Amino acid sequence: MENMDLARAIYLAGKAIGAGLAMGIGAIGPGVGEGNIGAHAMDAMARQPEMMGAITTRMLLADAVAESTGIYSLLIAFLIIFAL
Amino acid sequence: MAKKEKIFLTVLFVIFVVAWFFAARSLPDTKEAFSTLGHRWVVTIGNFSFNPATIIMSAVLTALIVWFAVSVRKEMKIVPSRKQSIVEWLFESFYQMVEDTVPDERFVKPTFVVATTLFIYIWLSNMIGSIPGISFVGFEDGTLKEIALFTDTWQPPTADLNTNLTYALMVFVISHAFAIKAKGLKAWLKSWFEPNPVMLPMNVIGELAKPLSHSLRLFGNIAGGGILVFIFSYLVKYFLLPVFLWGFFGIFVGTIQALVFAILAIAYISAQLT
Repeated sequence: MENMDLARAIYLAGKAIGAGLAMGIGAIGPGVGEGNIGAHAMDAMARQPEMMGAITTRMLLADAVAESTGIYSLLIAFLIIFAL
Repeated sequence: MAKKEKIFLTVLFVIFVVAWFFAARSLPDTKEAFSTLGHRWVVTIGNFSFNPATIIMSAVLTALIVWFAVSVRKEMKIVPSRKQSIVEWLFESFYQMVEDTVPDERFVKPTFVVATTLFIYIWLSNMIGSIPGISFVGFEDGTLKEIALFTDTWQPPTADLNTNLTYALMVFVISHAFAIKAKGLKAWLKSWFEPNPVMLPMNVIGELAKPLSHSLRLFGNIAGGGILVFIFSYLVKYFLLPVFLWGFFGIFVGTIQALVFAILAIAYISAQLT
């Protein structure tokens, strides 16, 4: 660590901050979206408990689609860390 | 659980912990273990570069699927065996789904064939990612470092963007070919200028974004999940946790993403037909 010059230190700091920001901000959207999906699925299940199986599968599918922007930011974070 | 089984499991667990304790000491240190993370073995011939791991694994998977299909086909009966009823259930539920979504009757069967083929291949490929096995570890410049045994899962072909982008582009081309066939060339060309000609760039970008998001969703889930599992497994020195992580990221996420890929393929094709 001691023989690290300033340029490399700044480079590493930029990488770490960039990856952290990409992942942290990118996780907000999917969090809100999946929360909405879960809440409404719970509502629907409370109203019609006999539909529980069908609602659960559709909820998981919708979760997977809502999650995709979070997955993109995970990809970008990995790219920043490993490929930049 | 009987008392004998309890004793047996306890002894097994103790042996596992002792064996793990000695095996974990020979693991490489953090920097060396993570130096190969996210890198692949790439072979370059002339102007083309290949991912041999992807090619080998897709060949194996294709052979497996063909073998399974032939073995089901051979013993087809009116009273189905267990294997046959699984296949029938899968095909029936997919056919039902396609029939409900695709508006044009002529394109139900082709869409069903495309979507089910994609689902079976991608699902099996994701399942491979939940079984520990042989993985090809590469350096940053693409040369082969080692063929690692049981430190990671088999490398699923869907963890490679080339595979996913191929399938997504295939769905893209198929959807537009169906649209031309169903509506005629003139109506298809006109559909790019809806609702007015100013929107042409928007329509083009919207169409091109479909295969991109389609392929990146699957790639990100499988490849990102694989990297996460590798990091977590190393951090706990492969103690017990990897089993559950492989189960979650391989089986659970893999099944859902394969289903999502197939459903989106159906949705994209049917969106072009209306």
